Amino acid sequence: MESYRLRMSLGLVGLALAFIWVLPNLVNVENIKWLPHDKLNYGLDIQGGLHLVMGVDVTSVVSESTVRLVASLKKEFENPTVGITIKDVTASNPGEGEITIMLASAADNAKLEKHMNDIHGTVLQSLKSTDNTHIYRYFDAYLTDYKNRVIQQSIETLRNRIDEFGVAEPSISQQGPDRIMIQLPGVADAEKAKQLINTTAKLDFMMLSEDPIAGTLPKLVEDAEKAGKYSMATMKYSEYIDRLNKDIAGKLPPQTIVYFQKRESATKMEMGGMPFLLKTDTGLGGEALDDAHVSFGQYGEPEVALKFNLGGTAKFGDLTGNNIGKSMAIVLDRVVKSAPRIQTKIADGNARITMGGRDRNNTMEEAKMISTALRAGALPARLEQLEERRVGPSLGADSLQKAKVASLVGAMIIILFMLFYYKAMGVIATLTLGVNIFSVFALLTNFGATLTLPGIAGLALTVGFAVDANVLIHERIKDELRAGTSWKLAIQEGYAKAMSAILDSNITTAATATVLLYFGTGPVKGFAVTLLIGIATTLFANVFLSKLIVDTLVNKFKFQKLSV
Amino acid sequence: MHKNDDFGKFDFVGKIGIFGGISALLVFLSLAYLMVKGINYGIDFRGGTEVQVRFEGAVNIDEIRSNISKLNLGDVGVQGFGEKSEYVIRFQGKDTGSDKEKNEALNESITKIKNSLQTSFAEQKPEFLRVDTVGPQVGAELKRNGFLAVFYCLLVILVYVALRFDYKYSPGAVICLVHDAIITLAIFGMVGKEVNVPILAAIMTLIGYSLNDTIVVFDRIRETEGHYKGKDFSFIINKAINEMLMRTLITSGTTFVSALCLYLFAGGTVSDIAFAIAVGIFFGTYSSVYVAAPSILLMEKLKGKKAYA
Repeated sequence: MESYRLRMSLGLVGLALAFIWVLPNLVNVENIKWLPHDKLNYGLDIQGGLHLVMGVDVTSVVSESTVRLVASLKKEFENPTVGITIKDVTASNPGEGEITIMLASAADNAKLEKHMNDIHGTVLQSLKSTDNTHIYRYFDAYLTDYKNRVIQQSIETLRNRIDEFGVAEPSISQQGPDRIMIQLPGVADAEKAKQLINTTAKLDFMMLSEDPIAGTLPKLVEDAEKAGKYSMATMKYSEYIDRLNKDIAGKLPPQTIVYFQKRESATKMEMGGMPFLLKTDTGLGGEALDDAHVSFGQYGEPEVALKFNLGGTAKFGDLTGNNIGKSMAIVLDRVVKSAPRIQTKIADGNARITMGGRDRNNTMEEAKMISTALRAGALPARLEQLEERRVGPSLGADSLQKAKVASLVGAMIIILFMLFYYKAMGVIATLTLGVNIFSVFALLTNFGATLTLPGIAGLALTVGFAVDANVLIHERIKDELRAGTSWKLAIQEGYAKAMSAILDSNITTAATATVLLYFGTGPVKGFAVTLLIGIATTLFANVFLSKLIVDTLVNKFKFQKLSV
Repeated sequence: MHKNDDFGKFDFVGKIGIFGGISALLVFLSLAYLMVKGINYGIDFRGGTEVQVRFEGAVNIDEIRSNISKLNLGDVGVQGFGEKSEYVIRFQGKDTGSDKEKNEALNESITKIKNSLQTSFAEQKPEFLRVDTVGPQVGAELKRNGFLAVFYCLLVILVYVALRFDYKYSPGAVICLVHDAIITLAIFGMVGKEVNVPILAAIMTLIGYSLNDTIVVFDRIRETEGHYKGKDFSFIINKAINEMLMRTLITSGTTFVSALCLYLFAGGTVSDIAFAIAVGIFFGTYSSVYVAAPSILLMEKLKGKKAYA
């Protein structure tokens, strides 16, 4: 009887868990702390919305960066103090960041190697040098990191854009090496969303205003928010910025604007933004910048190296010359990313941003963040739309409704048949079938899985499979009874003998579902997940529980016979 | 209790010739059909765009056709869908040019179609229910993944059957799967439905289900073989199948009813999945009796044993 008790406890625990997990879908449990609050997710094909797969043109970004590197190297060698005469510098394999330097004579070889090592040693590695020809390439780790950063920056930029669009639960994730998947549930205006997604990032360099009012900015912002009864948390960032700047324009000096920087501790802007008063007449933007990357100072401390292009160098030289000791903000899509202080006039277009002295990991992260922001403005990665799926809200609701009806009708027919054909055992089968479906929803909810339309088909199939298990058992019991076995023994034998067939069939179906899960995308994954969960719950409900119920009826309640 | 020489109601083995012939013919016809017509791939695999639109007022399909043909988008198909005044517009876009150009062309076409329908049929209030665009890269990838999925699926199943059963059962199981999958694919093509990712998933599930059915039969044959040692193999098969008959019919019947209801009432993707599954179950059940069993018999014969009494 020990094993019976154990099985009983397991069964009850299973039922209780299923009940707790399903509960949030049925009633409002927000106020009960100890209960889980997760609700079942519906796929885009049910709730409607926009699904996009965008390809990030990483290769072009790398190529462009290589071409710019070649141009800047040429400029470097023009400088007589470097003392190297070159014949040519070419981008021999721009997509991989490979360049070839041809010297006028092999006599400069040693000088070139030293120069390259001193100035570009963190980024470029010597690949091959023969005679007067030297091939350099980005370090593999640097290139991998670079590509990765391009993708990450694209995702970051997209996320900011989409936050603007006000989608309830957007999902933006990397898919494969160079793709981004965007899912926007419930978006009705797909054209506008796509337009927003396809805009490139805007980078601005803006001087901080020295006006004394800048010191009272937090108070000004707070007052304006109070007076207008709004806050960043309840609005889109761009609308908030527009509104705020309109409200406090009278109190600010002319040609200034307030933008925010995300506080270090905050994961989202709404959780804490620091206002900056910025001058709008700086006139220096992403088009002036060639490239930016993380480099290291003389003590190995991370910093950001910026390289301005020809037009940008002159402007940047004037700007830094006129503003020594003042701060300049780096602004990406109207968000302040960093506000370093200008220490000296920079005339050659090569600037460095040194980080504040905190621990190395932090400064490294910050340097990476700033350099990617700069690069997003200087070298925006082009996005190419590869796949689009748009489901109107009415279609999803319609499909769900129809699929529900269809599943119910199917289940009803099956249940009626089971009751009619297997009588008492049919009642038990129906009961456990109910538990089965209930458990599928419980597990789907608990795993945070998504119910898609094919998933509903999977659910209907589960009903079929579950009944299959019961039919196998019942037919076995009948066989045993026909062979003259006593009723008690027939039940034991029936369950035991049906087990091998039940396991075989469920294992093969599980194998197919696992393969589908691995290769499938979106809705098909939903189908596979539902099937897999259905197999687990079928074994729990229609086999384990049904045996438990029969045992209880026979042993505890002394049933002499159950019709089958 | 049955007598030892009573194998049950039906002499399945005796009619193997007829049904084996029918099966072979069906597979042959299906293969021929698939070879001539090819698998009817949908946009998931071919790449292209599908727009599903519903009009509140009545719209003639020819009006839509002439309207869209003015846009010069190449070969555009318009088809009535489900209820009246609901249409699916399909097109592949350009045949030439780089993947990038094809992507852009598809993308622009959606907007063109949308604008054109919205202006020309403003009174009928078009509602765009669904837009699917699959670019050439993603299409090729989905196709590759699809084939890989089917391959691994078959592999896993074969390994399982080989481990679980005697080698003489494996060929029968595989022949059954191929038989069911090919006939289902052909029927799918004949009724004019397209094979998209969810349908591939359905066919794979079907492979699993058909195998499940076959395994249950095998399981019983193996068990019966143990009970009636020395008995003729065709007797064993007949006995096993007859004993399993109710179970086979009932379980296939219940799943078939589930699928049929979804096919009749659900509409859209779910309906297509259900259709594939319903057709597959029908043939799967049939094949688990009339394809699997004879193949074991054949294996026995090849082994040199006397199969018929």
